[in-house]
Amino acid sequence: MEREEVKKRIADKFGSKVRIAERSPKRVFVYAENEIWVELAHFLFDDLGARYDTGCAVDDRDGVEVMFFFPFDREHFFLTIKTFAAKPNPTLNSITSVCPGAKWIEREMFEMYEVNFRNHPDLRPVLRADTRPADYFAAKREVKDEHETVRQRDDGDARADEVAGRPPKGTNP
Amino acid sequence: MVKKIPIGPFHPLLEEPEFFELHVDGERVVGIDITIGWSHRGIELLSEHKTWDQVPFLVERICGICSCSHPYAYVKAVEDLCRIEVPPRAQFIRCIVAELERLHSHLLWTGLAGHFLGYNTVFMWTWRFREPLLDVLEAVTGNRNHYAVMKPGGVRRDIPQEEIPNILKLLDELEKNNHMLTNAILDDPVIHARTKGVGVFNKDQCRLYGALGPTARSAGLDIDDRRDHPIDAYDKVSFNVILCEHGDVFDKAVVRQLENFESIKIIRQCLRMLEGTKPGEICTEIHEVPPGEGIGVYEAPRGEVLHYVRSNGGNMPIRHRVRAPSFNNILTNELSVLGNTVSDAGLITAAVDPCYSCTERVGIVDRASGERRIVTEADLVRLSQEKTEEIRKRFAALKGNG
Repeated sequence: MEREEVKKRIADKFGSKVRIAERSPKRVFVYAENEIWVELAHFLFDDLGARYDTGCAVDDRDGVEVMFFFPFDREHFFLTIKTFAAKPNPTLNSITSVCPGAKWIEREMFEMYEVNFRNHPDLRPVLRADTRPADYFAAKREVKDEHETVRQRDDGDARADEVAGRPPKGTNP
Repeated sequence: MVKKIPIGPFHPLLEEPEFFELHVDGERVVGIDITIGWSHRGIELLSEHKTWDQVPFLVERICGICSCSHPYAYVKAVEDLCRIEVPPRAQFIRCIVAELERLHSHLLWTGLAGHFLGYNTVFMWTWRFREPLLDVLEAVTGNRNHYAVMKPGGVRRDIPQEEIPNILKLLDELEKNNHMLTNAILDDPVIHARTKGVGVFNKDQCRLYGALGPTARSAGLDIDDRRDHPIDAYDKVSFNVILCEHGDVFDKAVVRQLENFESIKIIRQCLRMLEGTKPGEICTEIHEVPPGEGIGVYEAPRGEVLHYVRSNGGNMPIRHRVRAPSFNNILTNELSVLGNTVSDAGLITAAVDPCYSCTERVGIVDRASGERRIVTEADLVRLSQEKTEEIRKRFAALKGNG
């Protein structure tokens, strides 16, 4: 399935609940709302035949941006799905029901960023020493209110959106 | 009676800490709990305090064996972010160094597996074959490991013309030796008995668990980033993706041995094409890294390495995510050791070529009585070697009778 076809099928299925951006022919990003997160992963993995790769989280003042990488190997491009889990209690549904291989990366995101993955089979810290306090989240950043963050800036530049992990402006294919 | 056998946090076979708690019923493994993170060094956070140019030196220290793979994936992520092309000569040099690294990594794995099985001759052969490779890497990059050759935009050092005949000579020798080694391994009935059908992880499981590299290809999952997401010169060379179908320890060994031939093929092609490029043109200058994000992937010897970087336009990444292939592959042990014996468990966990290091003790806990005893690396290796010896004797007896 070609890249354009993949984008179209995602847009057809999820409509306004996703925003699709193509940064280059090899990099496609899909910004999804929280409630369709698992369904989107399921659609990519089971219906469109993408490969599960790994995940990543980025802390922001207002929440945590969570992303998973789903490469389409035969079509030679990487598709990244992103969503935003709002603070103070960032919570998302776990995609381990779709790909059990996501177990550890979700545990790591919980441990580092306090992202609570609902329905995860075993959400224990994966890296932490037993002696570390349970309420210590190493990569979670506490930013004071007066501190300006990239998410607060809106200079109309598409690049600023990219830095802040915001969905792009414009319409889906 | 079900017992728990903790292996680690210092692994009996390899070089870094890891913790496997085996749940056994008699000799049979019925469950496993894996704990990682014993050598968590905070590389991602450190990286966010280094300039774009300094980060390769940091990430190549993630792994001594794959010390070209992490910088390679990182510089590709930065180049993806900056949307820049690398000069052709640098592309070939990158591929040559990367494939030399793959060769020495695969040979290292074969040697360790041989030792664990009780084939110390294999261990010594591979070390002997690997040594000239490291010499060539030293001549080309200045170091036997931690080559410091990758930089965003290109490479730091050119390959001197006078080194090329040495590399070609090494490849000829290595090809011959690898043939001998491959035949010796593939024809040995005892190795077959020890590794076939052991630690099976099938194709569907590989897909669900995101298994990578030789672990996935040994089960028939046809993925290889060098072909699927080609970077630099990989789309200019021809090579085969080696696939097997059973996903057991034997097939993992076969994939690695045969991949050595493909690496030799790739290096020869790159060296040939290097002649058509201008010496010294090895880097595109990057004056500024724009805001945005970049993804870099590279097929390391153990599987795909992924680096994700995010920039706000400053001189350091604001986020740098590193995913080594072992993060996905070690998790496959969750299923692959089930149903196997304790003497095979060490071999199975090592078969994914996990990137953690050595140590050297195992605790055994009797769940019913709570009794705990510690055994050493030597004990576990002995257990495995004894099993091989037993099979050898059985084969010898059969031969005698037949």
